[in-house]
Amino acid sequence: MTTVVALAGTSRRATSQGDRSPRARAAIVVLCLLLIATSLFSLASGASDASALSVMRGWIFSVSSADPLSARDSIIIYDIRLPRLLLGILVGSALAVSGAVLQGLFRNPLADPGLVGVSAGSSLGAVSVIVLGGTLLSPLMALFGNFTLPLAAFLGGLVTTLILYRISTRQGRTSVATMLLAGIALGALAMALTGVLIFIADDRQLRDLTFWQLGSLAGATWQKIGMVGPIIVVALLTTPFLSRGLNALALSEATAGHLGVPVQRLKYVAIIAVSAAVGASVAVSGGIGFVGIVVPHLLRLLIGPDNRFLLPASALLGASMLLLADAVCRTIVAPAELPIGIVTATVGAPFFLWILLRRRGVLDL
Amino acid sequence: MIEARNIGIAIGRSQIVTDVNFEVGAGELAAIVGPNGSGKTTFLKALSGELPYSGRITFNGRDLARMKPWEAASVRAVLPQSTALSFPFTVREIVKLGLTGGRSGVSPVEEEALPERALARVDLEGFSGRFYQELSGGEQQRVQLARVLCQVWKPVMDGGPRFLFLDEPVSSLDIRHQLMIMNIARDFASSGGGVVAILHDLNLTAMFADRIFVMHRGRLAASGPPKDVLRDDVIAKVFECDLKVGVTPGHDMPFVLPQSAGF
Repeated sequence: MTTVVALAGTSRRATSQGDRSPRARAAIVVLCLLLIATSLFSLASGASDASALSVMRGWIFSVSSADPLSARDSIIIYDIRLPRLLLGILVGSALAVSGAVLQGLFRNPLADPGLVGVSAGSSLGAVSVIVLGGTLLSPLMALFGNFTLPLAAFLGGLVTTLILYRISTRQGRTSVATMLLAGIALGALAMALTGVLIFIADDRQLRDLTFWQLGSLAGATWQKIGMVGPIIVVALLTTPFLSRGLNALALSEATAGHLGVPVQRLKYVAIIAVSAAVGASVAVSGGIGFVGIVVPHLLRLLIGPDNRFLLPASALLGASMLLLADAVCRTIVAPAELPIGIVTATVGAPFFLWILLRRRGVLDL
Repeated sequence: MIEARNIGIAIGRSQIVTDVNFEVGAGELAAIVGPNGSGKTTFLKALSGELPYSGRITFNGRDLARMKPWEAASVRAVLPQSTALSFPFTVREIVKLGLTGGRSGVSPVEEEALPERALARVDLEGFSGRFYQELSGGEQQRVQLARVLCQVWKPVMDGGPRFLFLDEPVSSLDIRHQLMIMNIARDFASSGGGVVAILHDLNLTAMFADRIFVMHRGRLAASGPPKDVLRDDVIAKVFECDLKVGVTPGHDMPFVLPQSAGF
């Protein structure tokens, strides 16, 4: 966080010209370095005493194969911490970029994957499997095994988004207002159905549900990364092509059209990319809040709202933030673990309020 | 040249515009006037390709219905009545958005400095680094005009005129800037482009328009040069207001006409 503040201080001069792209490029370089640092830190921290030093030594020695790591440390690093690190990077960048894209799409700095019901739909899918997996949905469990839960969450998010799109699009035109309201209604419906499932759940299922609903990276495996990694990477790689159109959309949908942006296609691609990224994230890590809203906000204050820089910067900072939060979860009550959603909400919500109070005029809320 | 033939526009079940014929050529400033709710903005939205319409609209001989968004963006730019933003863009960033999909007509090197030139044009020199949301309504309107000017900086391209669509461009401006903005529109037309402006000030309209289209209840009530259109009977019928053209008030009642400006 100190790097961020320092950068804001040194590049005031660039703002006076109104062109913040040099500052934004510098910020992206700094954010890359930050992500490398947080990654190393994340690999080195945890309940076990496999320290940063032993991680480094382990890498060097396993390359020279003179003195291999002990079997225990090797398992901790390659099978537990490395997949967890990668999952944190994937989920953190997916949530932050999804937030930034939705905010651009809705022309509203408060839009969030949670707001249009995508997360709620994913949750419904996942909770269905947790509660009904042993009974009603047991044929599915037999068919997909451990993949059933992530798959159901992903499908829940996708179905919600598709219904949402059908409701709010008429004759090829999407009304953002209708979409926002329909999203809230669909989200409420999904949450009500989830509530019914929670009501009929037994004690063991409730424990699972609570942990999953609060969000966690604890279940990270190479298998999960193999499944959601490609989805998130493809969705994220689509977003740079949306950035100029999203910038024009800030003026209004009509004006973006006047500027030559194919608005309908832009909205369609953005919706698909966001629902895929969010569905995949919720599937493997549950409900991790505030990343999608705090990260783009913070970056807009620092480098401005130009999506050409905001989207990659959001991916980098979102990943770093989630890794730091996860490191806190793993160490603060070691050897137990806090759900990561508690940490992101505890840090994110007051920070978000602080941003609102400080920049109320400029954000024009 | 823009030609619109037998244009009808329906929104939902209500017919907003009926059987309007309209044309504006290179070098011309066409003004659309009429009372509130007469369909002026709706008609301009159809010309902008924003609303579906019946009839036929062509830009330099090409059918608007067959043009891609970026093709339309390179023959016309549109200034909306007002634009509110939710994100803290700087003035320069807004003006630069004018270069998103169209073609300014200048080299990429010149384009770097184009936002500053456009801002100087609308009397906002030195405003580049200010936040758009901190400006007054009139200043925001002029920033948007600078953005629109960037989009079609060269009034003529590929041998054909390009067009500015201005929806009440002077509604929130003081009199000095009203004249300045109307002169920018005038210059754009003089350099071979075309301008379509929705105006409410009949004096400014008389002063700057080559052709006036008077709309009344979704139909064209009159069209032609100012002298033919600005008549007592037309104004009485359309605006339902008993006004006399060319009559000055008594000697003890001051009045200020834009025509008296020393431009």
